[in-house]
Amino acid sequence: MIIMHLGASKEQIQNVIAEIEKQKLSTHLIEGVEQTIIGAVGDGHYVAKEIFEALPGVESVQRISQPYKLASRQFHEQDSIFQLDGFSIGSTEIPIIAGPCSVESRAQILETAQAVKEAGANALRGGVFKPRTSPYAFQGLGEEGLEYLVEAREKTGLPIVAEVMAVAQIEMMEKCVDIFQLGARNMQNFNLLRAIGETRTPVLFKRGMAATIEEMLMASEYILSGGNTRVMLCERGIRTFETATRNTTDINAIPVLKKLTHLPVIIDPSHSTGDSAYVSAVAKAGVAAGADGIIVEVHPDPAHAISDGKQSLTPEAFARLVKQVKAVAEAVDRHLVPQHVQA
Amino acid sequence: MMIIMKPNATPEQVDHVIEQVKAAGLNAHLSQGVEATIIGAIGETHNIPTDIFEVLDGVDMVKRITQPFKLASRQFHPENSVFPLDGFTVGGEEIAIIAGPCSVESRSQIIETAQAVKEAGASALRGGVFKPRTSPYAFQGLGEEGLDYLAEARQQTGLPIVAEIMSQTQLDLMVRHIDVLQVGARNMQNFNLLRAIGETQTPVLLKRGLSATIEELLMSAEYILAGGNKQVMLCERGIRTFETTTRNTTDINAIPVLKNLTHLPVILDPSHATGHADYVPAVARAAIAAGADGLIVEVHPDPAHAVSDGKQSLRPEKFAEMVRQVGQIAQIMGRRLASVERSTSKV
Repeated sequence: MIIMHLGASKEQIQNVIAEIEKQKLSTHLIEGVEQTIIGAVGDGHYVAKEIFEALPGVESVQRISQPYKLASRQFHEQDSIFQLDGFSIGSTEIPIIAGPCSVESRAQILETAQAVKEAGANALRGGVFKPRTSPYAFQGLGEEGLEYLVEAREKTGLPIVAEVMAVAQIEMMEKCVDIFQLGARNMQNFNLLRAIGETRTPVLFKRGMAATIEEMLMASEYILSGGNTRVMLCERGIRTFETATRNTTDINAIPVLKKLTHLPVIIDPSHSTGDSAYVSAVAKAGVAAGADGIIVEVHPDPAHAISDGKQSLTPEAFARLVKQVKAVAEAVDRHLVPQHVQA
Repeated sequence: MMIIMKPNATPEQVDHVIEQVKAAGLNAHLSQGVEATIIGAIGETHNIPTDIFEVLDGVDMVKRITQPFKLASRQFHPENSVFPLDGFTVGGEEIAIIAGPCSVESRSQIIETAQAVKEAGASALRGGVFKPRTSPYAFQGLGEEGLDYLAEARQQTGLPIVAEIMSQTQLDLMVRHIDVLQVGARNMQNFNLLRAIGETQTPVLLKRGLSATIEELLMSAEYILAGGNKQVMLCERGIRTFETTTRNTTDINAIPVLKNLTHLPVILDPSHATGHADYVPAVARAAIAAGADGLIVEVHPDPAHAVSDGKQSLRPEKFAEMVRQVGQIAQIMGRRLASVERSTSKV
């Protein structure tokens, strides 16, 4: 919808109409008492609105249809369900991904993997390339960490979720990891998104710290448009003025995303609160609001964790969380992943 | 509190700060580090402003260690506060559901809504008669006439009434007609109003300001508590963020954070927190799962023709469905809806 300035000339209006036709859209002219509005009708999701904003006489341009397509529920009405190793996501099943912020050592990741498996986790998280705010902070074990993750998978059967930070890491990560995590700080790293879109590895896609829901969906569109259709969206808290918590969990994002997109939506209560005391409450809230899964930080010894100790649960606290989340899942007619015999 | 001196602070400046700490009735604890000197000010500090030390020469910054609120804090009152309202309690096992229109629009509208929300399981009726509208040209509420209709709705349904008070001048009138005074988000820091409400013994529903931190909300509650009115319920109603898809952003973290910091009951308003009827049931369920003690929800018999907040108002049928869903979450949390108790104990 193109809104013309008060007193825009006939030539300016004609010029806008010509541009609309050039973009292969049709024109619907509305001449109001005060202002003229020109509707640009058609499949406009790939047309940049800047094209019209720059024309003389144009006051503002408002998109009526969504600027994303493959991610939208209009395009794909049914919930997308991805079959992963040992569980599905997007169905009535609610998978739980758990593990430490960082892979710190072989012993630490193996111990944690066993503990979270016993407590009911369906996948193991663990960072080996860490996007730390400070360049002096621990940056992850890199390739060595990947080997430990692979060993943890062999021992527990849990698929592995790990963050990919750069295009250069994709080839190596693809071989070792079951699910790529795209971190909040990289949500608009468009080259990385395109490169991930070329792979066929499922993606856990985190919302940027100051990204709107629409920006998140646009960024996921980068991956989808490359042909990688298995993208899970993750609310992990946004930056607000509140200082009592590390981030503010935008719980609205859960039902909003479930309405706008067919992609699975999960919640990360560890980052979204930043405090292990609040993780369980927000995990339950996430599932009650309709989330399809949760990702939680668990560490065998949070006080001595290299990163994110404050927001990490002990294995015992995590086991309690799983029990509570199970009850909430059942109250919203869903269930945790059945614990069947694993190889 | 902790007073951190500048790296180049002189011994005289340090001594002066220590004198001032003592003058404020506190003990001083000196710790001389390699880079900076820190003076701990120990004692009852919640009523001492940090400014009196911040202005002194040589002081870099002052950090509070203890909470600046006292009566509201769980340290002061470890047990949950449970308030009896008319027919149910808030803050205990029962989950209160307050429902009704944004504004009282007419006698028939409020009476019809009251009946409908009661049948659907509400435990109290909301309805604004003095409306703090963003535009001075928008409907400002029916005023005293609306209060009469609310009183009639209470007579017919037995539901206690929650209505917003906007100004001290309305206090006498409101206290006579209303069971719970709502302090709106825009008035959360209207300190004269808070003090005046603190002088009454009418229960209060205190809404979080649009850009108020959790600590600021608790400080505002402290104004009311300090006046002697102990029955304050806190309400998360969404905060202002950069997100534009929803009217506000529900700070769901605020529920467990508040339950941790304060003994006061905490409720959530999913109508304002989302601004969209489609999202209200999901956020209502989330609130109870996160540990909220109640909900306040906008319900209108005909949202498309509501004078205000139609977009975020549920129809009575949708509200009934929401109550059913919330009841299921309440049950697994070891709680129960207040309305259930009510219908079995009364009649």
